[in-house]
Amino acid sequence: MKIRVAGTTKSFGQTEVIRHIDFTVMSGEICCLLGPSGSGKTTLIRLMIGAIAPSTGTIHIGDTLMPNMTLLNEIGFMPQNNALYEDLTAEDNLLFFGSVYKLEKSVLKQRIEEVLKIVDLTAHRQKRVHVFSGGMKKRLSLAIAILHQPKVLFLDEPTVGIDPVLRREIWHQFHRIKQAGTTIVVSTHVMDEVIECDRAALIYEGTLIEYDTVDNLLAKTQTGRVEELFILASDQLKEGTTHEPLS
Amino acid sequence: MNHLAKRVIRQTLNDKRSVMMILIAPLLLLTLIYLLLGDTDYVPVIVIEEATPQNLVTALNKQDIELIQEKQTITSPKTYLTDNEHVDAVFLYSDNGFDMTLREPSTKSSTAAKEIQAALSSINPASKMETSYVHGSTDQSTFDSLGYVFLSLFSFFMVFVISAMAFVKERSEGTLERLLMTPIKRSEVILGYTMGYSVFAIAQAILIVLYTVYILQMSSNGNIFLVLLVLLLLATTAVLFGATISVFASSALQVVQLIPFTIIPQVFFSGLISLDLIPYHLGNLSYIMPIFYGASAIKEIMVYGNGFDAIWGYLSGLLLYILVLYTINVRALKKFRNA
Ligand SMILES: Nc1ncnc2c1ncn2[C@@H]1O[C@H](COP(=O)(O)OP(=O)(O)OP(=O)(O)O)[C@@H](O)[C@H]1O
Ligand SMILES: [Mg+2]
Repeated sequence: MKIRVAGTTKSFGQTEVIRHIDFTVMSGEICCLLGPSGSGKTTLIRLMIGAIAPSTGTIHIGDTLMPNMTLLNEIGFMPQNNALYEDLTAEDNLLFFGSVYKLEKSVLKQRIEEVLKIVDLTAHRQKRVHVFSGGMKKRLSLAIAILHQPKVLFLDEPTVGIDPVLRREIWHQFHRIKQAGTTIVVSTHVMDEVIECDRAALIYEGTLIEYDTVDNLLAKTQTGRVEELFILASDQLKEGTTHEPLS
Repeated sequence: MNHLAKRVIRQTLNDKRSVMMILIAPLLLLTLIYLLLGDTDYVPVIVIEEATPQNLVTALNKQDIELIQEKQTITSPKTYLTDNEHVDAVFLYSDNGFDMTLREPSTKSSTAAKEIQAALSSINPASKMETSYVHGSTDQSTFDSLGYVFLSLFSFFMVFVISAMAFVKERSEGTLERLLMTPIKRSEVILGYTMGYSVFAIAQAILIVLYTVYILQMSSNGNIFLVLLVLLLLATTAVLFGATISVFASSALQVVQLIPFTIIPQVFFSGLISLDLIPYHLGNLSYIMPIFYGASAIKEIMVYGNGFDAIWGYLSGLLLYILVLYTINVRALKKFRNA
């Protein structure tokens, strides 16, 4: 499903955190939100899933205006903080979230087996979450997000604290999920992960500074590294603000 | 049935401290209160002068007191009491009457006064005064007449704290936001929570009532099932009250910091302090305190031995509270999701 963000602004009190963002995530693509800490990636994701309403502008997923409750059946969300029930076992966490999506019992059982395998937690399913390491919690959180096979998947920094081998495995899974027709929006500030994506949205201080296919973006740089785009962008912005009074 | 209720139950069972707090802590506190307010066999120490008439000394000796006859005359009873810390009362006889001096308005002193009065009436039956109460009897301990307040107080407090902390945790750890990003209804969330904790509230109510009536032997004149009903409604109010308060707290510590605003005023208006004497009609404030409704209903049943027709007003008060708090909580979740 397509995600259309149109003229969206979000302010918390006086501070404008998202500044007039316009872009469309193509159906069945992996789109990455790239930006430094505090640039507004999490806020943009929360706007897109409808956790918060925009101050101005609109967001559509498919043809549906967000926030919308029935569409939540089609959405998977992995928050930046793990948001797990620490007093429950990994399996109980999955069972609970699965039942909220009203999955049939047999289907749910089978899906739990599948997702536990994907995130490599089958051996730890009976452990309570509060004894999990940071990376294990991240993996369980990811398992919950994909449990009900959503058509749109929002992942807020899914691979932080995960070792390179498992990270590669997880990205491999993302590609498989994408091939099944799911649209994926993933936020990151790890530049390496950008090349795994189809398109990237570069966000800087709440503004969308670039949105293009990853290939095109890399072609614009001299060294072929994504960092350059940021350095360029921040220079542009600084010049913009410092030179304005003079001209 | 309700997945959320099941989860809340499982989660609470996995956290031993919460289970202890709901089920065991009230029993422990009630036992303490029982010991503190129960009958004492304290023997007051009373001092008289040697010159006291013999028939009065004999009468006093028959009472349950330790009598000391002072050889010197006591010129200032107050100084005497200050100098002799183990003495509770000085009782002087003179031609123009008796003079009783007590240390301070305490239970010890009032026991002494009671014994002296009994001795006096035994030598002069005309001055005998018979005290009787419409409800309860003179040999009832303070525990019998005030215990019901603690019943409702502890039950409310424990459930309130557990529920408020659970909700604060849901908010701060992001599970509430995550949960509301699924197609669950807002009302289902609050209902599930309330139902989950109700299971513990029922267990708690049964434990508390059986324990106080059968083990601590608190006198109860009424129907125990009505008491259970009241405690269940009160605990349900406590769950929803805790959920509401959690909106104003961002950590478990802040829940504790809010206790002076949430619980302590309710203690004052629960019936521990008699409300009919409070100035400026402040007693009317009790009508906004959920514990007041619970405690009053339990008082009607346990102390007055009344039935449903005496408590339906209080029960409606609690039900109204539950309804209002439920609505507030469901609306408060709009912060996370508009639909
Ligand atoms: N609820 C809120 N109230 C006020 N300000 C907020 C709120 N949520 C986010 N902000 C502000 O919005 C800005 C962007 O925050 P956001 O969490 O979206 O950044 P981010 O790009 O996800 O950062 P990170 O990479 O560190 O996760 C920050 O300055 C933050 O302080
Ligand atoms: Mg973030």
